Amino acid sequence: MAREPAVLRIFVILVALAAGAILLLPPPASAQEEVASAIRRYKEKEASTGYYEEYEVRPRRQRPFVEIPGVQVGLFPYSPSAAEVRVRTRLADSHMGIAFYTDKTCVACHPQEAKDIHTVRANLTCRQCHGGEPIASIQYFNSPMNPIRKHAYVCAKCHEGSSASFASYIIHEPAPGSMAALKSFPLLYIVYWFMTVLLVGTLAFFIPHSFLTGVRELFTRKKEAKNDADTTH
Amino acid sequence: MTPTPRIKRFSVIERLFHLSLMITFLLQTATGFSRLYITTAWGKKINAVFGGYDNSLLIHKWVGVVMMVGFVIHTVYLFTRINWRTPVKSVFGEDSLVPNIADLKHFGQRILWFFGLGSRPRFSRWTYWEKFDYWAVYWGLPLLAITGVMLMYPMVTSRFLPGWSLNIAALLHRAEAILAVTYIFIVHFFIGHLRPSSFPMNEAMFSGSVPLEEANEEKPAWVESLQNSGRLKMVSAAAPVLWYRVVYFVFGYAVLLFGVYLLINGIMYARQVGLH
Repeated sequence: MAREPAVLRIFVILVALAAGAILLLPPPASAQEEVASAIRRYKEKEASTGYYEEYEVRPRRQRPFVEIPGVQVGLFPYSPSAAEVRVRTRLADSHMGIAFYTDKTCVACHPQEAKDIHTVRANLTCRQCHGGEPIASIQYFNSPMNPIRKHAYVCAKCHEGSSASFASYIIHEPAPGSMAALKSFPLLYIVYWFMTVLLVGTLAFFIPHSFLTGVRELFTRKKEAKNDADTTH
Repeated sequence: MTPTPRIKRFSVIERLFHLSLMITFLLQTATGFSRLYITTAWGKKINAVFGGYDNSLLIHKWVGVVMMVGFVIHTVYLFTRINWRTPVKSVFGEDSLVPNIADLKHFGQRILWFFGLGSRPRFSRWTYWEKFDYWAVYWGLPLLAITGVMLMYPMVTSRFLPGWSLNIAALLHRAEAILAVTYIFIVHFFIGHLRPSSFPMNEAMFSGSVPLEEANEEKPAWVESLQNSGRLKMVSAAAPVLWYRVVYFVFGYAVLLFGVYLLINGIMYARQVGLH
């Protein structure tokens, strides 16, 4: 008698949990396009197709236990709805809450970012591309730097006809031989070290080779000159 | 006084290829360096010679186009040099610039000869380092051309490749250019001018001929095969006239000094470029 309601109660709890679990699943997407590559997608008809990748649309409702790569708080992965960690790459004002922000120059905190061709050669200032305050995070949906509009909002200011593919040029490229490059731009790293090894290898071979040729010929000449005086032929 | 017998080494068209390569290569180095070193005092100076940052790029592009055309013409010329009745023998024979097993053997012999442990390798028409010289340019030019065209038309490039391929192209273009410049201005100039058997200048590429005696000493297998096939008489050449020698000595040294000037300043100012 007494066991039946208990079994029923456990059953109800399990059903409720299962129903709750369904809520944890990501909502079905309205359109799931198979994208061969960014180039192909962006080639000509980027906007006219109406298809967008996930990072291009407004953030959907936050899901607990869905981690953001590299961010973990406590025992559980970072959960935007449960924690108060600021992920700087996703803020409307990326410099929000930084002490004495207004007294700082950009390069005070971003020295590596001032070593690119745009800054060094074309003498661009940071704000010419990144805009005035507040400077939005790179992954903030409404940022002008969002890949869906960067080519039009930023690059095309100077580069007429800039496409989204063109805008995937890495402005602040890492030092090509650094471990940072290996992580974020492996091909650049590989090309750099391939060319460096080729350069050093070629010179390391041919400079001693030429020098030894010179030294050896110096001795040969002297010997032959002596021989010529002795023998006539 | 009987003139010393000479044999032909380079035809007029081959010398013209070399001459045009010299001029275009030097222009590309100067205009390219003037942009690479624009952040330095020296870079600004040579940049001013070419009329500023944009103008030097314009010159760089047009000279690049001339080089690409030259490369195509040269490749066509290469095909005309193949004896199409015996193509395999012609391409892989000893008159050819294509590397072969004998080059490896010669290299080993030459290392021994450096230290007096063996006799001079019997080189044929082209020594292995001359072949390296040739093929280094032959693969370097298309690499610079392809990456150069990519950078020349970034919008078109990014239609066919992702935009970040321009990062790679810029790096490759610069790295290959530095490789070519250091190799030519150090190794090639040393071989052509400084080593005792060439000093003060190896004239073969300008006069087109070499004294038979010198060829016999440097490339005995070549002279021998000419003798055996009875072609030695056919390739005999006249000595270059004096005024011509004066002209190419002055020209050669001007190029040498300018190249070394660019190289030394390039090394000195390398740290101030300001890029990664």
